[in-house]
Amino acid sequence: MRWLALIWKSLMRSKRRTLLIVGSLILSVFTVAVLQSLLTTLNAVTNNPNSSNRLVVRHKSGLTQMLPRSYEAYLRQQSEVETVCALQWFGGYYQDPRNFFANFASDETTLFQTFREEFGAAGISEAQIKDYLRDGAGCIVGESLAKKNGWKVGDVVPLTGTIFPINPRLTIRLIYKSPKPSDENVLHFHYKVLEEGVPRMKGLVGSFWVRTHRPEDIPRFIERVDRHYANSAYETLTETENAFNLAFVKMLGNIGAIIQGITAAVVVAILIVTGNTMATAIRERTTEIAVFRAMGFSASRVLGLLLFEGVLLVGVGGCLGVLVANLAAGAVRASLGMAMPFFADFAILPDTVLACLAGAMAIGLLATFIPAYAATRRPITEGLRAVG
Amino acid sequence: MNTDRFDLGGGEPIITLRDVAKSYWREALEIPVLQGIDLEIPVGAYIALMGPSGSGKTTLLNLVAGIDRPTGGSLEVCGHELNSLDDDQLAAWRNAHVGFIFQNYNLVPVLNAFENVELPLLLTGAGRGERRDRVEEALALVNLTDRMGNYPRQLSGGQEQRVAIARAIVTDPDLLVADEPTGALDAKNAEEVLALMERLNSEFQKTIVMVTHDPKAAHHAKHQIHLEKGVLDKAVEVNR
Repeated sequence: MRWLALIWKSLMRSKRRTLLIVGSLILSVFTVAVLQSLLTTLNAVTNNPNSSNRLVVRHKSGLTQMLPRSYEAYLRQQSEVETVCALQWFGGYYQDPRNFFANFASDETTLFQTFREEFGAAGISEAQIKDYLRDGAGCIVGESLAKKNGWKVGDVVPLTGTIFPINPRLTIRLIYKSPKPSDENVLHFHYKVLEEGVPRMKGLVGSFWVRTHRPEDIPRFIERVDRHYANSAYETLTETENAFNLAFVKMLGNIGAIIQGITAAVVVAILIVTGNTMATAIRERTTEIAVFRAMGFSASRVLGLLLFEGVLLVGVGGCLGVLVANLAAGAVRASLGMAMPFFADFAILPDTVLACLAGAMAIGLLATFIPAYAATRRPITEGLRAVG
Repeated sequence: MNTDRFDLGGGEPIITLRDVAKSYWREALEIPVLQGIDLEIPVGAYIALMGPSGSGKTTLLNLVAGIDRPTGGSLEVCGHELNSLDDDQLAAWRNAHVGFIFQNYNLVPVLNAFENVELPLLLTGAGRGERRDRVEEALALVNLTDRMGNYPRQLSGGQEQRVAIARAIVTDPDLLVADEPTGALDAKNAEEVLALMERLNSEFQKTIVMVTHDPKAAHHAKHQIHLEKGVLDKAVEVNR
C-alpha cells in the first residue's frame, strides 16, 4: 500500500457521499467555466484586435435608418481613410428559417481590403477574387458555413429575404478560411443585387465600414465626419467597430455583473457544501484519527493526508467539470455558432481552465483545512474516548 | 498470591515513573486523577492495571504509552524521558517503541487485514518487500495468514482483535499497551487473545501493560497493580 492508495481508500469509504460531492463540484465548475467563457467570448467581440483602425459610420437614429451611398465619396476624401466598404445586413435564410446565418450585401470592390484580417487574405488568390467580382450574382462564403451546408464553389445558394422582399439566387465564387471560426459563418454578395432588387434601397445603405491608416487617426476622423453631417437629413453616428459591437452586447443588459454575481454565488455555495461534507467526513473519523496518531502518525502528517484527500476530491470534480464544460462548448459552437457568429468562437480557454482548477483546489484546501486542523489538534485520548 | 507492594521482579526498568501526577481542569476546577505515582516496571513484565472506574488506570496507561502528558513528575519509558519530547518526537517514539491494542480493535474499515497491519510500517521507511515480509510474519504469528485480504467487516471480533495485535507488534515494539483488550469479546475469543498476549510476553519478551476489569484476564498477567482513587494501592504477583 502506498500513501496515495491510503488516501484513495479513505476517500471512497462512503461512495455515495463522494459521488454526490463530486457531482455537485462538476456542476459548479461546469457552471463557472461556461459563464466565465461566455464573458470572455463577449469581451473578445468588443475587443477585436483586428478592428483597431476600423470604424462604422451609420445613421444617428439607429440601425434601421439608412444613409445615402453618396456619403461614401466624402468619407474616401478624408486623408486618414484607407478604404470604405458599404455594408447592409440582409438577414436572409437558406431553405429553412431555422437555418439562419449572417449574410450581407456589401461593396465587393473594397470588401477584401477593409476586412483583410478576417478573410485570411493570404489564402485567397487574385483569380478567385476576380471570379467573384466578375459575377454580379456571385457570393463568397466562409469555410465553416460551406462545410455545414455541403456547399462548394459553383453551387447556387437561394436565399430567402426576411427584411427585404427579394430571394436572390447566388453562385458561390469563393470559399475563404479565416483565423477565427466566427468569421467563417458569413456570406457576402454584391451590393448591386440589393439595390437592383429593392427599389427603396437605391442609393442607400445601412452602414459604411471605414479603415483608417492608423488607429490614432480615429478620434479626429469621428469628430470631423459627425460634425460635417450634423443637422442634415441623414445625421451620422461614427464609432469604432468595438464600440459598435459593444452596443449589441449591451442589449443583453449588464451581462458582466450578472455573470460575476452568479459565479460568486456558485463559489460560496460549493464552499459551504464541500466544507460541510468534509467536516462530517472528518468528524466521523475522530477515533480513527486518534488511532493513527497513537500509532505514530504526527498531527501534521495526518493533517497533510486529510488535506490531500480534500484536494483530490475537489480536483477530480474540478477536472470532470472542466471536461464537461469543454464538451458543452463544442455543442454551443455547433448549435449557436451560425445564428450568432461570436458563439462560433466560444471555447473554454486555458486561462479559464486554470482559474477553475485553481479555484476548486483553493476551495478544497479551505473546506478541508478547518475541520482537519481541529481534528488533528484534538488530544489523542479524547479521540479514543469518542469510541463510546 | 504474593502481595509485596510494587515488587515487580528485578531487572532493567523499561518504565520508570517518579512522582507522576495528572489532573484535568473543568473550567477553574482542578480534578486530580493520578497523584504521586512512583513505579518501576522491568523489561519483560506483564502487568495488569486494575481498579474501580475512575481510579486512573486508563490515564496511567495513556501516560506510559505517550499519548497523554503528566501534569507533574517524570516519566522515562524505553530509555526516553517523555516530558522532554515535543509532539512530533513523541509520535515518532510511539511508532518505534509502543504497540497499541484497543478494546474495540479500531481497525480502519476501508483497509483489509494486510493493509491495517501495514499502516504503522508506512512511517518506518521500510521498503515494499520488507513491509510485506513483516506484515506476513505478524499475521502468521496471530494465525491469520489466510485472512489477510479480508476487510474488518468480514472478520469475527476475535479475528479483528488478532489483526489489531498483529498491527501492534509489526514494528517490533518494546512495549505493548492494551486497554481492555478482551472487553468486547466472548469467553472463547477472549481466552485466545489472552493466550496470544501471554505468548508475546513469554516467547518474544514484549513488556505488556494491560488495563482490565476482568479478573480472569488479569490472571494471565505476571503482576497485577491496583489503583485506588488515583494512587497506587498494591502490586500482586500472580501465581499461575
